[in-house]
Amino acid sequence: MPDLIIDGRAVSVPKGTMVIEAAERLGIMIPRFCWHKALGAAGACRMCAVMFTAGPVKGLEMSCMTPAADGMVVETFHPEAVAFRRSIIELLMVNHPHDCPVCDEGGHCLLQDETISGGHSLRRFPGRKRTYLDQNLGPFIQHEMNRCIHCYRCARFYQEYCGYRDFGPMQNANRVYFGRFDDGALENPFAGNLADLCPTGTLTDKPARFVSRRWDCLRAPSVCLHCSLGCNVTALSRYRRVARIEARENAAVNGSFICDRGRFSAGYEAIPERPRSARLDGNAVPAIEAETALAARLAALAEKHGPGSIAILGGLRSTMETQAAGIALAQAAGWRAPAFFATRTEQAATQAALAVLTPPRARSLAEIGKADAVLVLGVSPLFDAPMLALALRQASRAGAKIIVADPRPVALPLPFTHLPVPPRQFPAVLAVATGSPDAAAAAAQKRLPFAPELWPGLETAAKALAAAKRPALVFTPGLAAALPDDDRLGLFPVLAQASSAGAALLAPTDAPGLDELAADVAAGRVKGLVVVEADLFAAAPGLAAVLGKLDLLVVLDYLPTPTVAAAHIVLPTTTIFESGGILAASDGRLQAASPVQSPGDPVARDGAGSHPPRAFDRPLPGTDPAPAAFLLDRLARGLGLTLPREPLAALAAAIPALAGLDLAALPQDGLRPAFAGLAAPLPAPLPLSAESGLAVIYTDALFATDEPGRYAPLAQAQTQAGPPVLLLHADDAAALGLADGLADGLAVSLECGNRLVPATLHLSRAMARGVIVVPRVPDLAGLPPILGPCGLRRR
Amino acid sequence: MQVDTPQVLFKNRHLGRPATLAEYRAGGGYEALAATIGKRTPAEVLQLVLDADLRGRGGAGFPAGRKWQGVPTDHVGTRYVVVNTDEMEPGTFKDRILVNADPHLVIEGIVLCAYSIGASEGVFFIRPSYEGDAELIEQECRVAREHGYLGNNILGSDFSFDLHVHRSAGRYICGEASAQIKAISGLRPNPRKGGPRTAVKGLWDCPTIVNNLETLANLPGIVRNGPAWFKALARSATGSGTKLYSVSGQVARPGCYELPIGVTIREIIFEHAGGMAPGKTFKTVIPGGASTPFLPEALLDLEMDFDPMRAAGQRFGTASLMVFDQGTCLVGATLSLMEFFARESCGWCTPCREGIPAIRELLRRIEGGQGTEEHIQMLTDLLPVLDKAYCAFAPGAAEPVRGLLTHFMNEVNAHIVQKRCPFGNPPPTLRGKACGTRPIQFGPTPCPEDQCPI
Amino acid sequence: MSPLPTELETELARLVAAVPRPREAAVDVMYALQRHYGYLCDEAMHCAARVLGMTTLELESLATFYDYLYRRPVGRYVIHVCDSVVCWMFHQDSIFDYLCRTLGVPPGGTSEDGLFTVLPAACIGNCHNAPTMLINGRFYDRLTPERIDAVLAELRAGTEEPVRCK
Repeated sequence: MPDLIIDGRAVSVPKGTMVIEAAERLGIMIPRFCWHKALGAAGACRMCAVMFTAGPVKGLEMSCMTPAADGMVVETFHPEAVAFRRSIIELLMVNHPHDCPVCDEGGHCLLQDETISGGHSLRRFPGRKRTYLDQNLGPFIQHEMNRCIHCYRCARFYQEYCGYRDFGPMQNANRVYFGRFDDGALENPFAGNLADLCPTGTLTDKPARFVSRRWDCLRAPSVCLHCSLGCNVTALSRYRRVARIEARENAAVNGSFICDRGRFSAGYEAIPERPRSARLDGNAVPAIEAETALAARLAALAEKHGPGSIAILGGLRSTMETQAAGIALAQAAGWRAPAFFATRTEQAATQAALAVLTPPRARSLAEIGKADAVLVLGVSPLFDAPMLALALRQASRAGAKIIVADPRPVALPLPFTHLPVPPRQFPAVLAVATGSPDAAAAAAQKRLPFAPELWPGLETAAKALAAAKRPALVFTPGLAAALPDDDRLGLFPVLAQASSAGAALLAPTDAPGLDELAADVAAGRVKGLVVVEADLFAAAPGLAAVLGKLDLLVVLDYLPTPTVAAAHIVLPTTTIFESGGILAASDGRLQAASPVQSPGDPVARDGAGSHPPRAFDRPLPGTDPAPAAFLLDRLARGLGLTLPREPLAALAAAIPALAGLDLAALPQDGLRPAFAGLAAPLPAPLPLSAESGLAVIYTDALFATDEPGRYAPLAQAQTQAGPPVLLLHADDAAALGLADGLADGLAVSLECGNRLVPATLHLSRAMARGVIVVPRVPDLAGLPPILGPCGLRRR
Repeated sequence: MQVDTPQVLFKNRHLGRPATLAEYRAGGGYEALAATIGKRTPAEVLQLVLDADLRGRGGAGFPAGRKWQGVPTDHVGTRYVVVNTDEMEPGTFKDRILVNADPHLVIEGIVLCAYSIGASEGVFFIRPSYEGDAELIEQECRVAREHGYLGNNILGSDFSFDLHVHRSAGRYICGEASAQIKAISGLRPNPRKGGPRTAVKGLWDCPTIVNNLETLANLPGIVRNGPAWFKALARSATGSGTKLYSVSGQVARPGCYELPIGVTIREIIFEHAGGMAPGKTFKTVIPGGASTPFLPEALLDLEMDFDPMRAAGQRFGTASLMVFDQGTCLVGATLSLMEFFARESCGWCTPCREGIPAIRELLRRIEGGQGTEEHIQMLTDLLPVLDKAYCAFAPGAAEPVRGLLTHFMNEVNAHIVQKRCPFGNPPPTLRGKACGTRPIQFGPTPCPEDQCPI
Repeated sequence: MSPLPTELETELARLVAAVPRPREAAVDVMYALQRHYGYLCDEAMHCAARVLGMTTLELESLATFYDYLYRRPVGRYVIHVCDSVVCWMFHQDSIFDYLCRTLGVPPGGTSEDGLFTVLPAACIGNCHNAPTMLINGRFYDRLTPERIDAVLAELRAGTEEPVRCK
């Protein structure tokens, strides 16, 4: 632990810490451009020069490249250091355009800050400025090369940190140019971070361009809803629409970055179709009228058929407050316990996936990035949880062996071993890979006798995991029961949706699956259904099919789903940007999001494209949406019931993992409950037989397969038009007689419920046999788990 | 040509063509190798080099033996020798002459180095303008391989080492050891600092020794004749061995001369190079290649050796003497040097990427008669910034400017006062330095600072 | 993209196989393609990317870094005129200007007959013979206008037509 003195203050830092970081611990921000916490030192900008007045290093040196050492005395404001930094600024400004007034970075520009704080205001240099031509880098990042100060942050992030190779530095000397070989969208699904990283306006957030000055935005810490990882974001809102999303530092989860799905999937809060007023039997009515009618109809139903004829259904994209309020209402009213998951099995699996995360075994996403061998089972990182891919990349860069067992073709920006196995073989893969490395070869042959192509990969996996000091397993919930009892092996589950963990934590043990509700509705046992922020047509097509049998369908939502369209009564709710709330990430970590804007129509629409109206006595339009938890509480009151003042806190107090946690004051990095392990061994799920047909594997795309993302215009714009693309192993296709003629891109029909859905079939050899990979789109939500022989046919 | 000083490296230069293997062997060639492989341990060879105090001939003068000591002895896997024949320091052409005179001397030196550090692979890194020499080395490597001096089981021993040529596509920065390793690896040759040294983690992350070609060519002599002989070759107290001096500019006999280390600058110019060219009067000399300052006449009796020159505020560098006469404008000469440095920078750090073109811009103004006092202040302000660049490139570029401002300020002032070049040079055009690269990336000014006119 | 001649494909494969990792052959492969196409046109870059398993951006990073790889059309003979300090001292400027005037091209330009491109070059290591230039690996020493005329005439005499990108 070197002890050093920086600006007269002593600090003790771990060995290997650079002086610039040591200063940061004291709250001293040494000016910098190229150095970045996540990227490390480059030594390119020379801006972080400080004076070493005593100790092992003497004189002017770069604080990003000098490791802290005992006895160092550092002066950051030494006149020589200040003069040097001023010269650097002057040099950088020789070619930097004076276009701050029209630059989107203006106001949050590091170069602007340093130029002003460095006192550079007069140009001394004669001569012209360098100019470049810009490239079109796709929909997300705007290129403005004239502003570049060549800190190389973008290139280092893009190529080294992320592992993508289509963007980087070109030319040499003072002509260095950062761009692509030719115009085109950046391939890196994390490219949006370039806007955060770039210290000038060279690479800016394209959709957010000219929307607002950053300082004019309302800003609040938020949590991403677009997968289960719970990455931290800052939401910036202007005129009642989210102007942009930025990554928010969380050392335990996403570090400094987020994926493009998380960054560019907002916008659903501002679409014109969003439910903004209460609806009663298809007509917009004042909220109070809808609520009164609702209470009356529910009371009548309960009177006629008993309270058990009413069920409440919670979504997996709601805050835990909303989920808890739904549970509390159901309990108070005597309704059926709220349903969250498709089946009881899925609920039990998700609960088990959290329960196994005992303190010695639980790993954070950041810890996955530091693991030295990772087995990923049943997860395609880039699509199921994009930031997981970036964490794996960091592990891989440090030498970790990465093995991914998943039926889908897997693409990752890192070297890895892919074991294309169908889900029914996951337990076997797990057993062999986590078993003895010496017995792995034999075990692989015994457990997977018909897949010799997997044996070498399995042996590699077993050896890597056995030899590792920090091995980790990333798994899909269904595998919780099969996990080996080995504290050495860290665990990190990836769940289905942003609030899957919240639902699993809160759901009562007797909560039915959506499939049971469907049966109850079909049989007339359930007459009234209250749906809170869920789209049945996507989540439970079986239930959606029998909605006509209901006497009363009530939907509380902020998205214009088909379920909303089918409802008798609609109550509009607020999004996370308007109400905030607590979300549990896939490792159970509880994190709070703050509201950033008031609900209400975006000013752009309110003002009909013109300047916002200037009438001050007018009420804000479109402000009927209220937090779902608030609406549920009012509904309880309308029914003459009293819910706890804080349903979440009340519920949490009774849940062992959450009891005693202060949910009102969660720490900045979030709080991961200490889970106690599995109470009782789970019954192993029934193995699915591959004989009868193709196992259906749903897969996410980078954009617009998550529910809020489907309604985000920008995310939606990234999806391909045309029929959905299915993937099938080339040999399976041959066996089904689908491989002849068109080798790729065959027009097929897929039997989905009672419909035939047109699709395009692509063949692959990098995937498991016996499965068909189907995109997670509502159109295809109702496929059976096993596609029968006639399920797929030539169109 | 002067032959009254011992010719060790240039022993076979009198042939006027590359010496054949037979000719090299006739003069004792490959005896050192034969006496070493299987007879001396690698550590003994290293000790000879340490005792001989062989210092790097590429410019920095780092003791070769100490560099080799950095190679971890417990490394399992390949070790590399990289032969640095990038030689792009303006005024320097010694390596080209040496390869052309005696290719097998070079090859024997490389093999001796490889034996000492346990390398099995060698890369001969050569600049594109030396394509003829690249082909010569490839040809002579084949000959050496046929005779068992290179390749598998050298001289029947279990020591194997092979050498292949890596052609550069030409940038000065590739001469820097870490940049050269990156260049070989197919990466952008930005120098690397911090982290393990290349002797520990170099080419393909394996221990790698990068040595200048001339440095390695000294090995056969040292191994055959011993360190004492080598040290005695030098004329100065601190030096050892001979050195190839590239002499160019306004002298009667420009060329490359093998002379002892420690010979004075005056002797090199006025005896070996035949004095000034007819009708020319000495003004100054850049003694060690473009990255060293102008040397005033008063220092002509300085010994050409690493330590004495450093003590006098000068640099030995590559021992490439560029001689200027009284009729040559030193502002123009410095500007020419800055054009070189500005073009050759890798573009990594601010002082180099932005600072050198800024200096060039100021010198263009001064040379063109538009200079002001403020420009001199700006030049003075910039020099310490260049000194704190990422690698030694920009500090080297600062040296001639510093020399100009220190010793020839009167010439600079004359430009400013007379508002023109007192030597009658026309104002530097912004005619520029066209590049062969794709222009698409440059905007309304077609290429930065008018570099690309198209 | 038209296929490369078999001999060239073989040669490229040999270059890649001769080094420990394909990346090391990047410059050699680009040189070979440059010889074939006359310069590194986009098609050549795509070929190089395919042969080396690198992206075109990675190759562009290198091609635009170096001096002797041409990403723009050049003449059959690229004249690298040394403009470093020693040659400058011998009035390299006038040599350079003479070349441009004689060929009727701006610096960096290609003569109308497609034969010559004039490029300024960093010191080419021939300072004792200043002023000097380099054409296709050959040095031309102690240049004078007369000598330049002779060199150009000699090169014009023995030229064959190279393969060209459109």
